[in-house]
Amino acid sequence: MAKTLNTTSVGSFPKPASLMEARTRYRRQEISSAVLRVEEQEATRAVVRLQEDLGLDILVHGEMERGDMVAYFAENWEGFGRSLPVRSYGNRYYMKPIVEGPVGLGQAAGFTVQSWNQARALTNKPVKGMLTGPYTICDWSFNTHYRDRRALTLALAELVHEEAQALEDAGAQYIQIDEPAISTRPEEIGLAIEAMGIVTRGLSVGTISHICYGEFERIYPALLDLPVRQLDLEAANGHFALIDLIARYPWPVDKELALGVVDVHSHRLESVDEVKAGIRKALEVIPAERLFIDPDCGLKTRTWEEARQKLQVMVSAVRQVREEEGLA
Amino acid sequence: MKTSTIGAYPKIPAGSGPSVRSAIQRFEHGTIGPRALYDTYHAVVQRTLAIAAEASLDATTDGQIRWYDCFDPLCRDIENLAAGGLLRWFDNNFYYRHPIVTGRLQFQGGTLAAWAREAVGASAVPLTVALPGPFTVQALSEDRSYHNVPKLFGDIVEVLQLEAASLAGTGIFEVQWDEPALAVGAASPSLEEARQVYRDLLSANTVRQSVALYWGTCSSWLLAFEAADRVSVDAVTDRGVLTMLARERYPFEIGLGLLDARDVRLEDPTELAHTVEPFAAQYGTDCVWVHPSAGLELLPPDRAAQKVGLLHTLKHILEEEGA
Repeated sequence: MAKTLNTTSVGSFPKPASLMEARTRYRRQEISSAVLRVEEQEATRAVVRLQEDLGLDILVHGEMERGDMVAYFAENWEGFGRSLPVRSYGNRYYMKPIVEGPVGLGQAAGFTVQSWNQARALTNKPVKGMLTGPYTICDWSFNTHYRDRRALTLALAELVHEEAQALEDAGAQYIQIDEPAISTRPEEIGLAIEAMGIVTRGLSVGTISHICYGEFERIYPALLDLPVRQLDLEAANGHFALIDLIARYPWPVDKELALGVVDVHSHRLESVDEVKAGIRKALEVIPAERLFIDPDCGLKTRTWEEARQKLQVMVSAVRQVREEEGLA
Repeated sequence: MKTSTIGAYPKIPAGSGPSVRSAIQRFEHGTIGPRALYDTYHAVVQRTLAIAAEASLDATTDGQIRWYDCFDPLCRDIENLAAGGLLRWFDNNFYYRHPIVTGRLQFQGGTLAAWAREAVGASAVPLTVALPGPFTVQALSEDRSYHNVPKLFGDIVEVLQLEAASLAGTGIFEVQWDEPALAVGAASPSLEEARQVYRDLLSANTVRQSVALYWGTCSSWLLAFEAADRVSVDAVTDRGVLTMLARERYPFEIGLGLLDARDVRLEDPTELAHTVEPFAAQYGTDCVWVHPSAGLELLPPDRAAQKVGLLHTLKHILEEEGA
């Protein structure tokens, strides 16, 4: 791994057509879960290979077993009912879960470890353990059981903590807890921070929280109090205006920043020069050894080729900046 | 008492049937062409309007089925207003392409009027076209050209007047100006300023015009819309607005957003009827509307349909009770 400007990815990768077909056939009960798992593992292998070929420093497993970052947990835990899809933007829909009873791990304790283990076995590079944060699971679910959002969020935090602990016990060096909903209600930033404190309680691994498509200025600088080592923030979609916000406050000495440098919701392929400009802007406020570089968000909305090209641009930009700035 | 929907509706079916989602996927994979995609949009518009007709609504939107988001038709019809990157739609897990002002705004028109004609031709229910109002447009847009708020805002009001005028001949029932930015505090003009802006906006056209406030405090803005034909409020988020509306009789028809557009749980129709009855007595049955608190697209399609069906049940109860 490089000493500065380490490259990584946020989480999801586009699912190949064969896996999409297998998922459809599984839903129609035409194939077994074992057959589906084989397709998922094959797709995971391709995701790991792509990241290695491109030279990324910290890998993700690509979330081939997940349809949606919240529904995946709801489907495996107790207390949730299913709903029909709800649109979130463009032509993207998600199965918004319905909390109908007390949430619990049930038989699924440690269920995220399996997919992480499979990816880890394919590479010598670190692979991030991937979880969705309690605040986001609460915010993106209908709640028909708990008395209020706080009660549900804190109950979910205990479950996410158990998953995080299981990943650490399995050997994960990095655990990412995605909280894209965290800026939704600025008045609840304290609740989100409290819940994350439960999730990361007692963990010794590198903890990361990915946050995107929110109005960061509404929760900044309180966001810096989120008890994780690294904040992973989308910036390219906002033309790197995020860095102007970050520059207004001292960056904490114990925090890392992962900077999103390519827009995952645009077909347009960024130029290496514009990505370099974004990285250089960030380097003015974040030391290189604490600055990580990645896309704005998961890549599942792109085609495989678009994802590859965007990551290639990102890696090329990082290499050039490292070289031009004399960074290790 | 009258019933209506007031915004976007799910673009996918609750069961089998045409789906915008599937059609776009197949279009992007090259398995269907532009005609089939267009026809699917039309079929989904028809289905949405049929749901409204089955519930005997007194007005409905077309579900904004062809719209990417509420700014989409404005970005198509107004030159130098471009669709930008995704931003969260207030406190929802829904994201809109925020408008970017790239030059002086000019109204070109065409798209929304065509969509309105299509919906009017397919609807047995009077059609409402809901558009973001000037304060919401200004608050959620990124200005890369004017760098002069009053000048930009003045032009926004003018192009919205022109957009409304372009709808006048399409056969629609009304234009509804949505102002969630006022309700949630993303825009904060003085009450007098808001009143003057809306007086100007509404006076420029003969088409019936209403205002909808949702996801925040509606109570404090009621006096700004005295010139509107109807003011719709989100009584789920701001329960206190019912007290305001009961305290005095406002000069407009009132729209009571009593059905929670963001909660899958169905309201009790009898309780709803008890809430509505005093307003029907105070304002007159023709001047009281009941509708969801906002558009129903944030619900799964089966639950959205149930909410529309609930309006039918509610109307039946109130008619039996003579309200």
